[in-house]
Amino acid sequence: MSSVNEKIAGKIRSIASSLLESGEVAAFLGYTTGSLPGMMQPYVARDAKEAENLSWSSFCVINLANYLPALLKSFEPPRRPNEPPPEGPLPKVGVVATGCWSRNMVVQIQENQIDRNRVVIVGISSRGMVDRRKVQRFVGNREILSMEEQANFLVVKGKDFEEKINRWDVVRDNCKTCTHPDPVIYDELVGGLSGKRDIPDRFRQVDEIEALDIEERWKWFQEEISSCIRCYACRNVCPLCYCPTCFVDDSRPQWVGKSIDRVDTALFHILRAYHCAGRCTDCGSCESVCPMGIRMRLFTKKLQKDVLELYGFEPGLDVETPLPLSTYKVDDPEDFIITNIKKGDKK
Amino acid sequence: MIRPEDKGLKGKEQMSRPKGSVLVVGGGIAGVQAALDLADSGFYVHLVERSSAIGGSMSQLDKTFPTNDCSACILSPKLVEAGRHLNINLMTLSQVLGVEGEPGNFRVRVRKNPRYVDPEKCIACGTCAQKCPKKVPSEFDLGLGTRKAIYLRYPQAVPLKYAIDADACIYIKKPGRCGFCQKVCPTGAINFEDRPEEITLEVGSVILALGFRPFDPSGLDFTGYGTLKNVVTSMEFERLLSPSGPCMGHMERPSDKKEPEKIAWLQCVGSRDVNRACHGYCSSVCCMYAIKQAVIAREHSESGRLSSSIFFMDMRTHGKGFEAYYERAKREGIDFHRARVHTILPAPNENLRLRYSGEDGEIKEEEFDLVVLSVGLETDPEVMKLCHSLDVELDHDNFVSTSPFTPVATSRPGIFVCGTLAEPKDIPQSVMEASAAACGAGSILHESRWTETRKKEFPPEKNVYAEPPRIGVFVCSCGINIASVVDVEEVTQYARTLPGVVFAQNNLFTCSQDTINQMVETIKKEGLNRVVVASCTPRTHEALFQETLREAGINKFLFEMANIRDQDSWVHQKWPDAATRKAKDLVRMAVAKVRGDEPLPYNHVSVTKRALVIGGGVAGMVSALSLADQGFPVCLVERKDSLGGHARKFYRTWQGRPMQDYLEELVRRVETHPEIDVQLGATIEHVEGSVGQFRTRLSNGFEVEHGVAIVAVGAESFKPRSGPWNYLYGKNPNVHTLLELDQRFIRDDEALKGLSQAVFIHCVGSRVPERPYCSRVCCTHAIDQALKLKELNPEMDIFMLYRDIRTYGKREYIYQEAREKGIVFIRYDLDNLPRVNEQDGNIVVDVIDPIIDREVRLHPDLLVLASAVRPRDDVGELSKLFKCTMTEEGFLLEAHMKLRPVDFATDGVYLAGLCHYPKPVEETISQAQAAASRASLVLSRDAVPAESVTAVVNVMKCTGCAVCTQVCAYHAVTIDKNSGKAVVDTGLCKGCGACVAGCRSDAITIKNLGNEQIMAAVEAAMEE
Amino acid sequence: MEKAKKNQWEPKIIAFLCNWCSYAGADLAGVSRYQYPPSIRIVRVPCSGRVSANMILDALRSGADGVLVSGCHPGDCHYISGNLYARRRFALLERFLEFIGIEPGRVNFSWVSASEGEQFAKVAQEVTERVRRLGPARKLVKEIDSCPA
Repeated sequence: MSSVNEKIAGKIRSIASSLLESGEVAAFLGYTTGSLPGMMQPYVARDAKEAENLSWSSFCVINLANYLPALLKSFEPPRRPNEPPPEGPLPKVGVVATGCWSRNMVVQIQENQIDRNRVVIVGISSRGMVDRRKVQRFVGNREILSMEEQANFLVVKGKDFEEKINRWDVVRDNCKTCTHPDPVIYDELVGGLSGKRDIPDRFRQVDEIEALDIEERWKWFQEEISSCIRCYACRNVCPLCYCPTCFVDDSRPQWVGKSIDRVDTALFHILRAYHCAGRCTDCGSCESVCPMGIRMRLFTKKLQKDVLELYGFEPGLDVETPLPLSTYKVDDPEDFIITNIKKGDKK
Repeated sequence: MIRPEDKGLKGKEQMSRPKGSVLVVGGGIAGVQAALDLADSGFYVHLVERSSAIGGSMSQLDKTFPTNDCSACILSPKLVEAGRHLNINLMTLSQVLGVEGEPGNFRVRVRKNPRYVDPEKCIACGTCAQKCPKKVPSEFDLGLGTRKAIYLRYPQAVPLKYAIDADACIYIKKPGRCGFCQKVCPTGAINFEDRPEEITLEVGSVILALGFRPFDPSGLDFTGYGTLKNVVTSMEFERLLSPSGPCMGHMERPSDKKEPEKIAWLQCVGSRDVNRACHGYCSSVCCMYAIKQAVIAREHSESGRLSSSIFFMDMRTHGKGFEAYYERAKREGIDFHRARVHTILPAPNENLRLRYSGEDGEIKEEEFDLVVLSVGLETDPEVMKLCHSLDVELDHDNFVSTSPFTPVATSRPGIFVCGTLAEPKDIPQSVMEASAAACGAGSILHESRWTETRKKEFPPEKNVYAEPPRIGVFVCSCGINIASVVDVEEVTQYARTLPGVVFAQNNLFTCSQDTINQMVETIKKEGLNRVVVASCTPRTHEALFQETLREAGINKFLFEMANIRDQDSWVHQKWPDAATRKAKDLVRMAVAKVRGDEPLPYNHVSVTKRALVIGGGVAGMVSALSLADQGFPVCLVERKDSLGGHARKFYRTWQGRPMQDYLEELVRRVETHPEIDVQLGATIEHVEGSVGQFRTRLSNGFEVEHGVAIVAVGAESFKPRSGPWNYLYGKNPNVHTLLELDQRFIRDDEALKGLSQAVFIHCVGSRVPERPYCSRVCCTHAIDQALKLKELNPEMDIFMLYRDIRTYGKREYIYQEAREKGIVFIRYDLDNLPRVNEQDGNIVVDVIDPIIDREVRLHPDLLVLASAVRPRDDVGELSKLFKCTMTEEGFLLEAHMKLRPVDFATDGVYLAGLCHYPKPVEETISQAQAAASRASLVLSRDAVPAESVTAVVNVMKCTGCAVCTQVCAYHAVTIDKNSGKAVVDTGLCKGCGACVAGCRSDAITIKNLGNEQIMAAVEAAMEE
Repeated sequence: MEKAKKNQWEPKIIAFLCNWCSYAGADLAGVSRYQYPPSIRIVRVPCSGRVSANMILDALRSGADGVLVSGCHPGDCHYISGNLYARRRFALLERFLEFIGIEPGRVNFSWVSASEGEQFAKVAQEVTERVRRLGPARKLVKEIDSCPA
């Protein structure tokens, strides 16, 4: 295994076990190695011994922020809805956070889903996580039995093959266009910071779609979502989806039908993306977990682009700047208002 | 109602206390408005009307300018409200015989003439009139149509009860000869034994609102009126246009019922005419109503070929929105002829030949197929007699005399006047004065507020939660307004097929009193628990129908309207089939929505009994005093360091009353009044809250809690320092604006006496593209100044360069006086502006005189610019603080141009004075008093109704993300510390729904406006 | 006139109008008798700020050929700022729908004040024409709905 990841994993383990040992945190949220090659799974360590199971690799594709609100809640004593919270501080939780995860935590703080005082964030600058599908594509249909990480390479082994793959070639699309690999909030840091990345064409994938004509775009959208089986893995893995009753499950009102009819599926994806507008940090979890390989990240990426373009806003960079749909500026762009277009025509 | 605290009063104290009731004489719009204001602010009102129904002249009009609102449509809700008001005793067919006593304690003798129909029994089914054999000319249609001896004054009459005309009734003249009506009446309402009755009312104050009668042109031979059939008066023409008129709005000329294709309007018939008509005054409204008629007539023209010509002397479009209306009429092809018509001669085919001389003096002739005489307004001789018997002084034109500083007070203390009885004026002005008169009465009687009033008790509301929807649908024809385009019968039948609908009915006028009463019965009889009315707009009629539901014991929120008139029949006139389909869709949508409606509580907000008045000019000070005199504390805020405002620079009113004496007294009274707190040098920084509970922070840090606010921030005088209207202003010391010359008058500037020639230029910066409105006051002001100069030096030559002289009303007399005194009037237009130059420091004015068609050169040693009144630049900021709107010109915009002239759309905020529109001091004072009256409607109560349609949180779905708290402009939503979920303060919530749209979790909704209900309506729109 | 119209397809357009400005403007269009095509079905809402993306999509799902959302001009909102929050929501939605292939002109936004009766009629006319050019909207309507019954 790569010494980089092993070093990081070791550091995580030692921080976690000392936090747990000292009782500063009641639990530590990180990753452990999964049963299949190239699979990591979120893991909650509750004591120093369990902390030894914590690990780290380029396959940590699931956003840990997603588990944080529920984990924190689990340490609160049960109470009736209008009962005041118990006196004194509540137990804390430790968590590992890369750039995008930490930004999601910022949004969660803004939206009252987590209390900053109850989380100990162990920040890690992300090197970009690997897309298992890309790796699979690289080796064709052959079954992968093990994956070994080196500094800049992956060594993929199967029954009768071994491939050395340039790591960056198989890094996820969202990580490739990531501008904020460093955690924006943290209490402890593992490894160094790599600074803000400048990606001139970070919205290239969106631009390509936009360049299509309207019917081609519709065709693209239809094709993209046509395989959706409405399993909601994308929703379940999203740290921003925390409604007790999701609109897709609600029947009063029923905005979206529950079938896999193309219209129901389309509305599901439109609304899911729209709910993330101004909040999504492009962590890529949704795409990573999709069993059908739908590239739904493009939908949220489009909204991310527009929010930046129209309102100069990027989510989760600080707690103070209000989320774009909870605020306004008097001179916000409104060239889409048809009564304005007319005025312009006269000029 | 006797209140507990009243019981402890000793007999003597009760004696000295004024009566808590008021007599209003005249049931036109002015009388009705005064009655409503008083009844809603704690007084019992007796409303006496001579005819069988209230509504007055306004009910006879087809449309009203400048908004083209249907007169009956906007009036009707007020009439119905007055008719149903618990604290208005409506006495129709009644006459005041005499008034004795003192202010606070009058005894009024009233004669109630017999109706011969028992109003308790009459259901206005009309069977009686159908059977009645006697036809007589209808006075409501001015003799153009007929009615029966038993009749309704007009279809939407309030009260909607038939009456028998004793002079025409066969039975009453010869008992036994007829009596059909009695035989056919299904309810036995006919009572031939009905006799006049004389009663005595005890009231504290009297308001005269007796209105006008249209001038009768029979005596004016040149018009041919009375002999030439196709010469009609403007009031007659209103009836010809009206859908409820003799030709059902098809516009037929009297001689042959043909649609006219060429109509002429003759202005100033019976106005501005001392020689022939004995009326020297201008009737103020005729120019605008003629333009309106010309515009509306073209809409009515089925051939689409109608040509309209208006013959006038001066076009007097001096009110808010009038000039724009005039300009639009010109653009739309109405011909305006500045010419005097000498004679109207008969022509072939009963057409009419007009002989007239244009401005150049040339005689021309032109043929028309209908001539409308724009007749003036005058006082009815019967009314004159009444005024004499009441000791109320009339002026030489037989209008009630008033003073500019007490514009609604008559010569007899305790008796007030409003509307056209005091001077010809338009509807908003009359409504304003009506409120002002109510304020006058209120200030005498305020101690006795709520002592004679009764409280409305609605029946207990039926619990409908467990019931399946039983929906009733009422489809309105609105006369022909809807029925002429939409097949209302088909819509009604269709409504019956909709799920949940158990009853549907078509009505001629759903808002008429009798339909309303019948609706109450229907709701009870059919066991309805939800109602849909398909008619006009909920913006005007929702409240009326909602109250009807309450009367039937149904929560008023179980109601929806389908707007099949304003948003259907009126906008799809050419597509009747599609309009009918759309009406069905709209009904289906309303039914789908109402199905989900739930009963809501009636919320209230307690009232902070203090007014904030912004602006320390005349308007603000009068408003403040009017409220303080009624015992309400006032905080008066003035941005300058002293009170007085613009009036400080103003010399005298056009009636010759010195302004500064009045102002000094006004300031003294304000400054010494114990109820008024004056905040000088302060502006408004921040406003919170809403009607009943405002909290305002001033720039000096002072915070005031108040229940209402009156905005009276005034306007500015336009100073033409550069640009096309400069005329050497600011460059030559002898060029002044009107107010600058006034200041020279105020300081008795001796130098003025030595002047030999003065020139006034009118409309400097008014009625021009950048300020396309008339400043209303400048003609009168300039002419009065010219007269003052003549007083100082009778030898002085004075030239007035004008576009139209707009000395409306009695102001016309000073125009006449000016001409008699040799002041020369030269007309100019925008194509030929006067040119002003300087030669060796002397002013030279060149202007083309259109009469002689030559350029005239003048050498004045004084040039006065009658410059525009323009809105203040900072009004926008203030209007935003109070959530008020502005007109395009930058004046503040009232809630309704015609009938709510001092209210803003925002409850509890009122306006007065120049910030509304330019106006002379007497109108400013009456508007200020009117604003005070409207404000007292809130201040006189302990609590006012608050929003019931508020947000509500479903805690099961709420994530506590707080988006709702961030988008709420009223801070009505917060996150509860304990539960971590959103909670709504219903007192602060306005029901806007920003939170609902912001919530991703569907955890917050608006009662009866939830997503499901809106979806139901949307989905219903798509079904077919 | 009626006859000529029969050949022309009349779309159905859901118009969410705020009560204080645009709904009043639509009333004024009526009072002033400005004529416009009978395609608009008005849903009165308190404020344009009440209108969510869900509502707009629901209208399209229900079979509306077009949607119009109209509110007070910026600065005129009866509820102070409802239309300004709405403006952001609408701007993002409008761009997003275009991105996935919903034709521009299906979903329209305007500001119409209470005094702009003529303006409302013009907006209604223009939106109708836009939608007419696009033809019936089927993209977000389930196929089963479009089958002849």
